[in-house]
This record gives sequence, structure tokens and C-alpha cells, in this order.
Amino acid sequence: MIFRRRKKKEPRALAGELMPPEGVPLKLRIAGIGVRIAAQITDVAITLVASGSILILFAALRFTDPQTLLAIGALLFFLIRIPYYVFSELVWNGQTLGKRLMKIKVVSHDGGSLTTHALVLRNLMKEAEIFLPATLLFTLNSATPVASGVAFGWIVIGLLVPLMNRHRRRLGDLMAGTHVIHLPVPVLLKDLANEMRVQTEKRKPYAFLSHQLDHYGAFELQTLEDLLRAQNSPPVAKRNRNQQATIAALVETIRKKIKYADTVPSKDNLLFLRAFYNAQRQHLEQRQLFGDRRKNKHHVMEDDIS
Amino acid sequence: MEQYDLMRSARFRKEREPEWRRLEALVSEAETRGLHNMDFKAARDLAAYYRQATTSLAIAREITLDKALLEYLEALTARAYLSVYAPQERIGSLIRRFFLTSAPQAMRRSWLFILLGFLCMGLGALTGFMLYFENPAWFHVFIPPELANGRGPASTTDYLQSVIYQQDPDSTGLGAFATFLFSHNTRIAIFVFGLGVFLCVPSVLLTFFNGLGLGALYALYVDRGLGIDIGGWLSVHGVTELSAICIACGGGLQLGSAILFPGDRTRIAALQLAGHDAVKLAVVASIMLLVAAFLEGFARQLLQDLSGRYILGWGVGLIWLAWFILGGRSRR
Repeated sequence: MIFRRRKKKEPRALAGELMPPEGVPLKLRIAGIGVRIAAQITDVAITLVASGSILILFAALRFTDPQTLLAIGALLFFLIRIPYYVFSELVWNGQTLGKRLMKIKVVSHDGGSLTTHALVLRNLMKEAEIFLPATLLFTLNSATPVASGVAFGWIVIGLLVPLMNRHRRRLGDLMAGTHVIHLPVPVLLKDLANEMRVQTEKRKPYAFLSHQLDHYGAFELQTLEDLLRAQNSPPVAKRNRNQQATIAALVETIRKKIKYADTVPSKDNLLFLRAFYNAQRQHLEQRQLFGDRRKNKHHVMEDDIS
Repeated sequence: MEQYDLMRSARFRKEREPEWRRLEALVSEAETRGLHNMDFKAARDLAAYYRQATTSLAIAREITLDKALLEYLEALTARAYLSVYAPQERIGSLIRRFFLTSAPQAMRRSWLFILLGFLCMGLGALTGFMLYFENPAWFHVFIPPELANGRGPASTTDYLQSVIYQQDPDSTGLGAFATFLFSHNTRIAIFVFGLGVFLCVPSVLLTFFNGLGLGALYALYVDRGLGIDIGGWLSVHGVTELSAICIACGGGLQLGSAILFPGDRTRIAALQLAGHDAVKLAVVASIMLLVAAFLEGFARQLLQDLSGRYILGWGVGLIWLAWFILGGRSRR
């Protein structure tokens, strides 16, 4: 019972909320483990290539003997890696090249701007949290059970920490006060309410009475909006016929639900839906202004109970 | 006339859309070219339009049910927020500030933890030294074979001396040994710092163990009457390198003690606060390790003279000390 309740209340959609100093909370999608690992792998590849090319330069110049070269290589990788993460995140405002590629970004957890300290800290902790366990992974063997056990435990804990909190923060994020988000892409679609006007100039639009608009809530309205927007995309022949059927069924359902008396000719189906969308939106927005937010069609039942 | 046909939320959108479009252009300019390279008017407009967009978002959440508009405003405001509140400091001034003021100040603030770090190492060295004289077999316990480079109680005095005074380093792979030793010590430093979070214990143990090895090695040479020579060999890089480990230990202890004794704060908050100085200690330690690598790789091989080694090693140590004590004091 308790479990079901929690599930309902909090959809695990990883929606993080950030409070900028302006005081209007912004919803920013939290980047999951997968995309972050992908960015990490990209970054490791980049730094490996960088240190590898310097190493080849060394080898070509016969700077040292081959025995030393391996040790120098490990050292170079280490020396390039740490500044790379810190400086790239500083210059690109919380993005390394890998993160840019994956369109994710580090943000400050409290909504302020990223500080140098936070970036240095989270990337130093990355050393202890990701790279050392990764190298330890190669040293695991059954000959040294205690050491291997400790190393394995560390690796597991390091991986579990991000899974244990809602914001998918690893230890370095927790200490630095940061988390990682998906960069949102602003795309402004056309206003459906405006399109309607253009279409109905020639004809008399469908009209609805206010009690007919009391059945649905915001969720249904926005689902209808998605459906109507999908109509604007270029049609494919087969899909088109299916869509025709869907829309006809939809019109029929709505007509029955709101007890709309007149039948709608099939060529007018879309027009009816658009008109209904406009009327419904106007109605719901007006109700909302009066403090009556209707989330979905169950609002009637909720009102009855209370 | 046309206005009355539109519903309220559509009018709201129509009135503000040009501003949003302008903000969108400004944000993409800021993201590609950077705020530094924008002209004054554009930067000023960015901030102003950003504030307007936040207001629009707050209003839109109340009055409109147009999902497309809400999502657009949400994304636009977030993008604008991210570019308005981007870190503004240049890398150059950042580095200068670190070296001139913040690093030495952090070192002075956390002197107690650094002292504890040195104490761990020193006590370890003392114990290792004593134990070796009790039974030389301890040497193998404290120093792993790959780190000993063939040295041990069984090796001859001549061999021990040859490791210290090496005329031709490349022929015996001593260069490789030096790099290995460096990467070993770097790893120790990272461990000592990072593991401090786990209630200080691993940091103390690791530093102590490192000290044990140092003490045993020193005792081995003292036993053969080469005490002063090993002192010189170690001084060249050791003053810097071992101090770096002790400082890293100090940073780790600071983190651990924040978890052990958070005071009035929550543990996470205390950890974040302690992190401010601890991170600076870690960066200082890594810079010192880097310098130590150069000393180890070049100076120790080039400089075969005993007193020269002492002067170089402790001279560099003095420079570090001067930086920590004198740097970043405000002039009055």
C-alpha cells in the first residue's frame, strides 16, 4: 500500500528542480548514469589520444629508453587528465568535450553559479572515485583475497552512491554541491489557438457550452494538443489511414462524453477537434485563473469526495 | 480588432514572443562566443531579457495550458540562466590568485592538520628505524620488493652505495625506477587524500606505513655507515615529495575530521566547508609532487656531490616554507 502510494506521488522521471536567484524554479532533467559514463569514456579517449601522441613524439625523438617510456606514459596521462577536466569545465561552464558531445552539463546544486572550487573538487574526487577503482579493477585476483575484497568493495560503493540519491550525484558531486543535467533545447512550436483562427475564417466554427467543457482537465487537453501537432507533420500513406481511424474514434468518444448532439461529418473531424481544443483550453485557463486547477478528468470525482 | 479573437494566453504569447526570440539569439551567441566577447549592449540585454523571461515563465505557469509554450519557456529560461550565471573569472587571474593568496592562506589555516600529517610520517619513520635495529627482517615487511630496487639487509654495502651515487643512470634503468617511485608516491598521495573521507583512519595508516618504510630504509644505510649519504640522496627529492604526502594527509585528515566532528552543521555541510581548504592542500601537494618528479628525474642524477644534494633539497624545502608562511599576507 505504502509502496503504491509513493510510486504514484513521485514518478521516477528524474526531474530535478533548480532555484535560480530570481526565485522562479526551473525544471531541468537530471542526466542518468548511462549518458554520463558515455561522456566519461569520450573524455578518457580524448586524454588518452593526447598523451599517446606526446609519447610517440618522445619515442620518435629518442628522448629516453623504452623501459622508461611506459612509466612516462602513465605519468603523462595523469598530468594531462586532471588539468583537462578542471580547465575545460571552467572554460565551457561545466562541460568537457565529452559532455558537450552528450549535451549534458554540470550545474550548481543550489542554483548559484559554478565556483572554481566546486569544479576542482569534483574533478579531484573523480580521481579517487573513478580512475583509481578502474585501475584497481585490473589488480583483482584470488591470490590476495583481502586486498581484492577491499578494492572490489570500494568499486561497488563508488558505483552505488549515484544510484542512491535522486539527483544521481556521485561523491564528488555531493562534496562540491553540483549535479549533472541534460541541456534543454528551446523550440517554440506554433500556437494551435492561432492556427484555428486562420482555418475557421470561412466557416462557422463549432461552439460548445460551458457544461460541455467541464469533463476534461489539463492532461487530456495537452494530450489532444500533442495529437493535433502530430497532424501537422507530413503524412505517410499507411500511417495516414490509421490516423484517420484514430481521429474518428476520438471525435466519437468526445462527442459522447460531452453529450454533443450534432454528428460531425468525417471531413470536419479535425476542425471539430481544433475547435474543441480551443474552447476547452480557454475554459480551463479561465477556471485556473479563478484558482480551480484541473489536472485531469478525475477532478469531478475529487470535488465530490471533498 | 484582431486582438479580441485571441484567448488570453495566446495574446500573452503574442505580446512577448519577439523578446523571447531575441533572448534566444543572445543566449546562443553567449554560448558560442562567450560572455567576454559580447559587446556591452548585448550583454546588458541578455541579463534584462533573462529576467523578463523568468517573469514570463512564472506567469505562463499560472495562466496558460499550452504545453509547447511552457516547455519552450522552461528550456529558454534554463539556457539563459546557465549562460548568465556562468563563471566569469579568467583562467589567468584564477591561477594567479591561487598562487599568490588562496593557497598559502589555506595552508596557514590548516596548519594543525598538516602538523598531524608530518607527525604520522615522523612517528612511522622513527618506529621503522627502531624496529630495523631490533630485527633487520622487518625491512622486507615495510618495503615492497619492487620499491626496494634490490636493496635489502642481504645486499652488499657497495651495491647500496652504487644506488645512491649513480654515474650513468640510463644504463641500469634507474631512470625507470625514478619514474616508478614517483608514480608510486603520487598514488600514495591520492589515496591518503581521498581516503581521508573515511574517518581519517586510512590516511593515518597509509602515512604511517610510508614512514615505516622510510625509517627502515634509512636504518639499513645507517647500519652500513652510509647514513649521511642516504640523507643526501633522500633530501634532493624527499624533502619535497614526502612533505607533499604529509600535506595530502593533512587534507585528508581535514575531510575526515569534518565527518567525525561536524559541530553544529550537518555532516555533508561540514564536509563541504572543510573541502574548501582541503582541496587547496591537495592541489599544493600535487604541484609539489610535480616539482619532486623533476628533482628526482634530473637533479638527483646530475648532482652526485653530497653537500650539493643537501643544499638543493633543503633549499627547495625552504622555498616552499617561505611560500606558505609569507604568501598572501595583506599589506598594512
